[in-house]
Amino acid sequence: MTSVRVAVRVRPLNKREKQLSSKVIIHMKEKTTTIQKPTVRGDELKGVGKTFSYDFSYDSSDRRSPTFASQEKIFRDLGFEVLKAAFEGCNACVIAYGQTGSGKSYTMMGPSHDKGLIPRICEGLFWEISHRSKSDAVTFHTEVSYLEICNERVQDLLKKRASPADDGGLSVREHPRHGPYVENLSKHVVQSYSEVEGLIILSNANRTTASRGVNDFSRRSHAIFTIMFTQVWFDAEPLYETVSKIHLVDLAGSEKVDPTRTVGGRLKESADINKSLVTLGHVISALADLGVGVSTTKPIFIPYRDSVLTWLLKDSLGGNSKTTMIATVSPADVNYMETLNTLRFASRAKNIVNSPIVNDNGSVKVMRELQAEVTKLNQLLKEPTQVGREVPLSSVDVKEKLNETKSLQVVALTKNRSSTWRETLNILQEETVTLRKEGSGVVLDCCLPHLIAVGEDLQKTGITLYYLKEGRTIIGSGKASCTQDIVLHGPGLLSVHCVLENIAGTVTLFPQDGALCLVNGSVVTDPCQLTQGAIIQLGKGATLWFNQPTASQLRLKYESGLPSVFSPSVTDSSNSTENLSKAMVQNRGYKDAIKLTALVTDKSANLASQRS
Amino acid sequence: MTNEWRAICDKFTNAQNLTEIESRNDKENDPFRSKYKARELLREIYCEEEGGGETGLRAARLGAVEYYLGVNHVDTEELSAGQEHLMNCMKLLERCRVSSPNVSLFIQVRNQLGILWAGRDETETAQGFLETAESIYQRYMKEDGSPPTDMTEYFAAEENLLTHQERIKRFELAYTHTMYYLAQVYKNLGQTERAATYCHTTLQRQLQLNQFTPMEWALNAATLSQYYITKGRYMEGRHCLSAATVISDLAGEVPSEAAAQENETESERREHLRQKRAEIARCWIKYCLNLLQDAKKQLEDNIGELDTDRQEELKRARRREEEEEEKGRKSALLFGSEDTFDSIASIEEKVMCLFPLDFTEARSVFLVGQNHVTQAKDYFQMDGYVTDHIEILQDHSALFRSLAFFEEDLERRCKMHKRRVDMLEPICNDLNAQYYLMIRRQLMFELAETYNEMMDLKLALANRQADTQSLDNHTIKKFNHLCSASAKYFQMFLDSLCSPEGKFPERLEEEVLRPALVARFRVARLHSRLISTSPTVQLDNLNKSLENYKYVVQYCEANPEAGAAVETELELSKEMVGLLPLKINRLNARMDSNN
Repeated sequence: MTSVRVAVRVRPLNKREKQLSSKVIIHMKEKTTTIQKPTVRGDELKGVGKTFSYDFSYDSSDRRSPTFASQEKIFRDLGFEVLKAAFEGCNACVIAYGQTGSGKSYTMMGPSHDKGLIPRICEGLFWEISHRSKSDAVTFHTEVSYLEICNERVQDLLKKRASPADDGGLSVREHPRHGPYVENLSKHVVQSYSEVEGLIILSNANRTTASRGVNDFSRRSHAIFTIMFTQVWFDAEPLYETVSKIHLVDLAGSEKVDPTRTVGGRLKESADINKSLVTLGHVISALADLGVGVSTTKPIFIPYRDSVLTWLLKDSLGGNSKTTMIATVSPADVNYMETLNTLRFASRAKNIVNSPIVNDNGSVKVMRELQAEVTKLNQLLKEPTQVGREVPLSSVDVKEKLNETKSLQVVALTKNRSSTWRETLNILQEETVTLRKEGSGVVLDCCLPHLIAVGEDLQKTGITLYYLKEGRTIIGSGKASCTQDIVLHGPGLLSVHCVLENIAGTVTLFPQDGALCLVNGSVVTDPCQLTQGAIIQLGKGATLWFNQPTASQLRLKYESGLPSVFSPSVTDSSNSTENLSKAMVQNRGYKDAIKLTALVTDKSANLASQRS
Repeated sequence: MTNEWRAICDKFTNAQNLTEIESRNDKENDPFRSKYKARELLREIYCEEEGGGETGLRAARLGAVEYYLGVNHVDTEELSAGQEHLMNCMKLLERCRVSSPNVSLFIQVRNQLGILWAGRDETETAQGFLETAESIYQRYMKEDGSPPTDMTEYFAAEENLLTHQERIKRFELAYTHTMYYLAQVYKNLGQTERAATYCHTTLQRQLQLNQFTPMEWALNAATLSQYYITKGRYMEGRHCLSAATVISDLAGEVPSEAAAQENETESERREHLRQKRAEIARCWIKYCLNLLQDAKKQLEDNIGELDTDRQEELKRARRREEEEEEKGRKSALLFGSEDTFDSIASIEEKVMCLFPLDFTEARSVFLVGQNHVTQAKDYFQMDGYVTDHIEILQDHSALFRSLAFFEEDLERRCKMHKRRVDMLEPICNDLNAQYYLMIRRQLMFELAETYNEMMDLKLALANRQADTQSLDNHTIKKFNHLCSASAKYFQMFLDSLCSPEGKFPERLEEEVLRPALVARFRVARLHSRLISTSPTVQLDNLNKSLENYKYVVQYCEANPEAGAAVETELELSKEMVGLLPLKINRLNARMDSNN
């Protein structure tokens, strides 16, 4: 898979820079490159430089230095990977980027006495071919082409031009089977390195011809050397072949082209203002791009024509290619701005590969179904087993599985495991509550409106949850003869203290005469509809927290500060709970307020030790 | 006219000529040659002018020379000196009241200072200058409004003075630049909304003042529509697109194929026009698609089905919205010159900009989108434009997907999904796997989900017709076919992640992490849904299912950071890993007891 490797290389000071007695402002240490800002009045370099980190930083500024990075070293680091990809049948791409005269062409092509990456890669390719063809039953086929893009026009560098006027330019297209290609571009089958060398000489001649009369042509043009490498295994059945496309790209001088326009991916632009209205389109495009960034993933189309270069390198920048970027820089202070820009671009180059995202749309439905199935399967656990043999196996199984899935560590807290288990299971099978784990907390989800007792008795370790069934729920101190649904203890509680009425999820509190009831701190004497999160105080001590699953979900976004054990669940399962509650509120009522012993914080140490 | 004066005028014309025309031919190694020459001439003019003349005009003239010197220095990369000259110009103007002989200079010097300061990353300073320019223009137009003197006229012989019309044109153009620079400043300050408004204004002024190239303008307007779409502002989006369509027609007829074959210019023109029109069509497609998708989001319940309560509610709210639309239209910035205004409005009428709320409305939006699909595909053909062509097909498929949401008849809904399969499946299988890896992955995922959708629909249909439980053989066969097809494409997606040797990666790259785990999860689910009467086959399917659930769980155990990407899927996979063995055991036990 793609990740772009980025290397930076600094060349020695050149003659002109020496004449100007330029200072060296680039320093490299291992993978980092530091640039010093030159001071105007020639006094001591002061202040901190900027430091960038890359996959490779090559210091080629001083041949005598022990850390000097030679052409050979660069080939070993970067070229080997390309060859590896070629023989694996993957695509590969090396892009050189930098100011004119910073050593791009030297790095890519190099002079005959100090060859660069392109000749070395070709040499390596043929060396490996000769090596492999001895042993394996495999044949190789190598084709090369070489082109140049100038002012968005594509020229074939390996074809003799009939006349200088014949520069119509070739068009770039995409073929469903063969990928992006240049129409009518010549391809040359090569069998040896010397043949490649011959072609390179021809291309140089073509480049010179084209540049006649124009200011330094090479500055403005990109050159792409492409190797199509095919391997065929004849002994395989069916016939097996791999094709690898290798692009070796020498970009135009960075001072002449905007890297963000040429090499795909639109990066953040500088604060510069474009003067001419001709560029209005870019500004609007960038704006539309920003819109996408902020508002998730709306599919839009920006009619911003890819440059020819981007188009041709589509398969290299698009995802399944091994891409390497070499940024070349001058060490001299006079080039400070250009060098800094190059370094900046290189440090962001990893982002130029923008792989399209796969959107999954249908998952919600599938998960909802599966949730139902999980419930069903859980139900299955409850059924008496028919086949005798299965009994011992499955009961252990059940226990273990539940232990795992529901994260109930409750077992350890009780003496009589099995009976508590059965009780717990029964409660869970009622399907109005579920327990699940969230981080180190245990979350209790309940789909009916319910009350949670808070600050009731400091000695108690359990947390009590009271369902509110559809209809009336009587709350009192338990002293009276009639049966209260919820019995509370505490000073100031009447035998029948208040009644809660649940009508289709809307819960209203009816205080009894003379009973002290506070909702959210205010005394109520008339019927009062409860809202999510309401704190209810009955008498002088008993405090209850009212929770309503549907409403609670709406408020989730705003409230995250609640204690985690109480907080309603945030994940998708809350949706399903909501659904359940809709269905169940109608036909189910619960006689008992179920008291559930779950974990409380002072047991968390215990829990942690169990888990570890 | 004195000879002296004439000499000055000639010098000025010369300087202008050097700056604007000759400098283009300067050599690479001496790039500012002509500009330096122009600078010398300007300096001479300055010295001669400093002497005398009536004060008001003299200040403006001197200011203009300072202005040109400033721009000249900025152009030759001497920013500090450039700034000094521009500020000198500002100082000279300070003493003057804004009036027709100098208002143009007032504005243009601020434009230049805005550019200068923005280049130094001092965006707020730039903003200050440009906003002042904006208010100077507005005040002048309110209080005076007569055609202002152009700066070139300060040094022009009588016979070379400009017509009123030309003066207005140049003055308005300078202000259009102010608008454009402000758009960029706001963009750089992160105020995208304002930036969009200023781009909109810039476009509007170009149109009104007839200073535009039709196709370029149309494309810019279409692009701006995409910005509005991301903001959910469909009325503005539609307006931009309608204007784009109308203005693109001003670029003329597309030359015929025959004409193109005879003549290269015609051929290029044909190519250019067809391409740009196709691009505008693609912007339209996105408009329709987003409108449908956003409407769907508004209307769907938590399992992605039409929520009829919500539908009723939104329909009731509609009347109010319609009124607001009318109001909005009146206050919005509208494009158009006298002759285009009506045509733009008539295109707008053809497609709604409010959310479609039922099938009929959705269909009308869909059809407009589909029309543009046809138009776009006509240029972006598969042969030659693979990526573009497929993206258009994907949009077409997405249009169908959104339309299906509104369709109540399950049979017809199923047919819409079938259309999606028909358009995507052959392409997915024909494309070169290496060059179009990413596209194919998208297609595989989409095909897998479409088959899944069809499978659900088939089942729902069958259940609706027969009493549950007993599905007839034909339905089962159909169901299993769709189920397997869905699983096949998910599996194909997973296979595309393998190394050339066919090994599944141990660590998933970030961009495929979620899709890969989701695909595994979905494959697991699909295997457990296959219907079979044979216990052996059932067992096989369940084991395959378990294996895939296990993969998700184990992967997330080994790479805990992966869990966050697939929270719910992981939770459910864990449950299934716990529960499926039980089901398998039972099946085993039953098989044993039957034997």
